[in-house]
Order: sequence, then structure tokens, then C-alpha cells
Amino acid sequence: MPVRTSRLLVLIAWIAASASVAAQEGHPVVGSWHGDRGNGPKARTDVTVIMDWDGAQITGVVNPGFENMKLQNAKLTPKDWSLHFEVESKEASGTVTRCLVDGKIDRLGSEQRTLTGTWVCGAIKQDFKLTRDRDYSR
Amino acid sequence: MGNAWFGVSVVVGVLALSISSAPFDAQAPAASTQSGARGGRDGAAGDQGGARAGRAGRGRGAAAAGPSKPTPRWPDGRVNLSQVPGVKGFWNVMTGSPIAPGGLPTNLTLDQVPFHDWARALYEYRRSRGGLDDPHARCQPAGGMRFFTVPNGMEFIDQPELNRIFIIDGENRDWRRIAMEPGRTHPSEDDLIPSYFGDSIGHWEGDTLVVDTVGYNEKFWFIRGGLPHTRFMHLIERFTRINFDTLRYEVTIDDKGAYTRPWSGGWDIAWQYTNYDGSPGGEIHEYFCIDNERDAVNFAGK
Repeated sequence: MPVRTSRLLVLIAWIAASASVAAQEGHPVVGSWHGDRGNGPKARTDVTVIMDWDGAQITGVVNPGFENMKLQNAKLTPKDWSLHFEVESKEASGTVTRCLVDGKIDRLGSEQRTLTGTWVCGAIKQDFKLTRDRDYSR
Repeated sequence: MGNAWFGVSVVVGVLALSISSAPFDAQAPAASTQSGARGGRDGAAGDQGGARAGRAGRGRGAAAAGPSKPTPRWPDGRVNLSQVPGVKGFWNVMTGSPIAPGGLPTNLTLDQVPFHDWARALYEYRRSRGGLDDPHARCQPAGGMRFFTVPNGMEFIDQPELNRIFIIDGENRDWRRIAMEPGRTHPSEDDLIPSYFGDSIGHWEGDTLVVDTVGYNEKFWFIRGGLPHTRFMHLIERFTRINFDTLRYEVTIDDKGAYTRPWSGGWDIAWQYTNYDGSPGGEIHEYFCIDNERDAVNFAGK
């Protein structure tokens, strides 16, 4: 077996040995979520959502950075683990469009839980899927 | 060929290590079924198991027969929370719950726990999963008050000359440091590094050790069954050795992220005179749960 192959096996073994990572066990929406939205498998737009819970409300931003959009009217319904929030999307033309985002959390017990649903901005309706990122700090 | 055998042996070795590192309850037959749940090391699959910090404990013949001796004291009159000369032993933590019907008679029932809606729903979800998602079943530390529910023994090491008390657990040889300096305060929120055991400051109120802790991370379930908590959790713990054989543990949970108001509960913990397996000795043994176990899916809730 070449040295390269044995090194690969060592790498695989190391990954297997380090697969267990501490999860985030607090409020289910807290953390950073990555994914995309769009219509169909090709026309997708990357989305990042950062969410927090201060004990009274869910706060956060979509796409943190210069063009971030603050979460508004965010509400989690624990009965079915559905999440609603709204953002104001500013287009290049300067037009502001209100987007309504409705999703459902799945794989609740996993730190890499998912949020899937619809992302509706004005007349445009898209689907989205986000996966919560692993968190090494909280 | 040597390289081939090297590669294969490394893989086999690591996989063997993974398999052999399943948690205690998954690996070894329990010395007792007192926890009543074939779950994590404190019966992780259970929920309201209660404070059966029984005299029988996991170790056979754990406690002395007859009425307990009085609460021991140091020469300066302070309560001694640990061993006394000539009498070995340790606190035989087996399980505990701040929720009735387990624990102290004053414990709240589940319906009375002031959950936020999401926290109650998450707790019910976790219970429905039978502890399958419990980080402790995957060898994560028993943070918060769960420290006082896991087996394998617990001791206090009181060092008044150094203004500190250590609490050591046989479980993974975890330990907590209680700072006892008069006037000490917690670091600011910005300076706190979230952790499993938090930043603890203690003081004595009469014969009761009172410990105030903040700075928890969100990587663990702070009690078996999975009561949720958030980074806002603030615990006030009260330790009272009500007699030689009994340590009363009372805790107030103040977590605005998960509960609408502070609430309290507790349980009693029994002194064990023997080794954990019931043999003569009265000393904490070594126990480690090794990370990356793969057997949890086969025992929780099954």
C-alpha cells in the first residue's frame, strides 16, 4: 500500500474518531444558519441567517454585512416548530420589498437542524432550506 | 507491505477504540437497577427519576445501619462536608430531580415548572425521544446541577486557607471550583467564557454552603430528561449536611431564556461508606466515559 493511501486511511480514522461534537442545546433557533432559496435546483441564492433569543424575542439578521436585513416579527410556534419572520429587502433600484418567511424546523435534536419553507417577497414565492451551523463557541 | 499493515492497523485500532468507548451503562452491567433506566450514567433516558439517593446506592451495603451520626464539623466549628478521620466514604450521587414526584417534598410538579412555551415543548420532545439526543449519553460533561445526579461518587475538598472548595465527581473525574474569597464577584458577561460548570462563588449561611454560578454554555442538558436551559442560566445552590449520612441539595434555577420566573427544587444525597461496588474502602473509583461512543442509539428509549 502506498504511503499516500495509508495516510488517507489515517485521515479517515481520525475523522471517525472525532465525529462527536457538542451540540447546541438551548433555544432551537439560536445560531447561524446557511442555505439557499429559489425556484428549482438551479436558480438558487445563498442565504445566511443569524438568530438569537434574549428571553423575550427572537432577533437576528439575514445575510450579515453591509446589506443585512434585520429580522422583524419573528415568532416560533413550538406546537409544530414552525418559524415566521419578516425582512425588508432593498432592491438595487431602491425599492423596498417586504419578505415573509415561513419555515419548519426539522431534526430538532440535532445541532445541524434544518429549517425549510417558503420565502415570499412581494409577488415572488420561493422555497428555502437552511441548516444550522455547528457551533464551537457557545 | 509494511505501510499497508500500518494503515489497516491504525483504522482497526481507532474503530476498536470507538466501539470500546461506549458509556458505562452501555458497556457494563449495572451493579444495581436503582436508576430504573437503562440510559446514560445517571439514567439519561429517564426524566423525573427523583432523588433516590438511596442508602443502598449502586454500591451494596452503602450506608451504615441505624440512625445517622450528627453532622461532622471542623475544629473551628464549620460544617465538614466530606470525610472525617477514621471514617471513609463519599457522597453516593445516583440520581436526582428538581421536579416532583422525585426529590424534596417541596419540589414543583412538571405542570408547575414555569417553562417558556418553547422550553416546555422541547422538554416534551426530548422525553418523547427517550433521551436519544442526550449529550451526556455521548460523554459530554454533566454540567449545572446534573453534576449532582451522576453516579461514581462525589466529594468536597474544603481549603479555607486558600478560600476555595473543590467538588470532585468520580464521573469522568470532573471537578468544580467554588471561589470563597469574601467580596468576590463574577466576571462581566463579556468576560465570562461559557462553560459546563460556570463561574462559581460560594459563601456560608450558617451551616449551609451557598454557591452562586453563572456562565454556562448550552452544550449540555443540565438535568437528565433534558430540562432546557440557555446561556442566561444562573443557579443558586445550597448544600446542607443535615446529618452525617445526608447532604441536602437545593437549587434555584434562574434562567430568563427558558423559564418565565426563577424556580427551585432539590434532593437528598446519601453518604456511602463502602467502595462503589460495595467492597470495603469508601473511596471514589476511576470512571471515564470516552467520547465518540456509538452505542447510545441502541439503548436510549428502547
